[in-house]
Amino acid sequence: MDATSIVAAINGNIATVGYGLAAIGPAIGVGIVVGKTIESVARQPELQGRLTTLMYIGIAFTEALALIGIATYYIFTN
Amino acid sequence: MNSATIVLKRSLIYGALLALAIAVVGGVIGGLVAGGNGVLSALVGTAMAAVFLGITSGSILLATRSRRYEAFSPAFFAIVLGGWVLKFVMFLALVFLTGRAPWVQPHVLFFCILAAVVGSLLVDVIVVARTRQPYIDEPRSAVTPERSDS
Repeated sequence: MDATSIVAAINGNIATVGYGLAAIGPAIGVGIVVGKTIESVARQPELQGRLTTLMYIGIAFTEALALIGIATYYIFTN
Repeated sequence: MNSATIVLKRSLIYGALLALAIAVVGGVIGGLVAGGNGVLSALVGTAMAAVFLGITSGSILLATRSRRYEAFSPAFFAIVLGGWVLKFVMFLALVFLTGRAPWVQPHVLFFCILAAVVGSLLVDVIVVARTRQPYIDEPRSAVTPERSDS
């Protein structure tokens, strides 16, 4: 079966693919941010206050992409 | 007390003030563009973005301030990351519930969410950049050493 036939056989709402893409990136991003923060605190526990702040900023920026990605449902389906 | 607490508190307060401003401006623009439905959509969109972004700092604040948990214990990450997953499930459910509601003006709602998200990021960056925070936290000891008077 060639690629054109496979694509033609796919049915359903293509927006679900969009949600998947909107979820994968931020999930990887938050995983990296939190994992690196754990590594850093394990190396230097006295810096945990500043590292918590930096972790917060990292999570905020990463989740902003996910929120915008999911909210595009409003304009792409109407 | 963790030194990140003051940053998170300020971020929550200024984020709420910004959301209020966006709700007012978005409500006026939504009202001019689409009448009552536009106002309602602007208020709902701003509230969704503000609450869901506030949950991030709120959950870290809760996990950090809780005296029962050492910072960066498994309980800390259970609260922060559990809140993150819960927030996204709720956001997804809300989007699907309100997506085809007759009172929703999708463009007004989307642009209010966008403005609140971008504005919240700006507020976070400004708060983090301007707040004085010590480099080193005083380590929290599990057992307070007894002072000897002799």
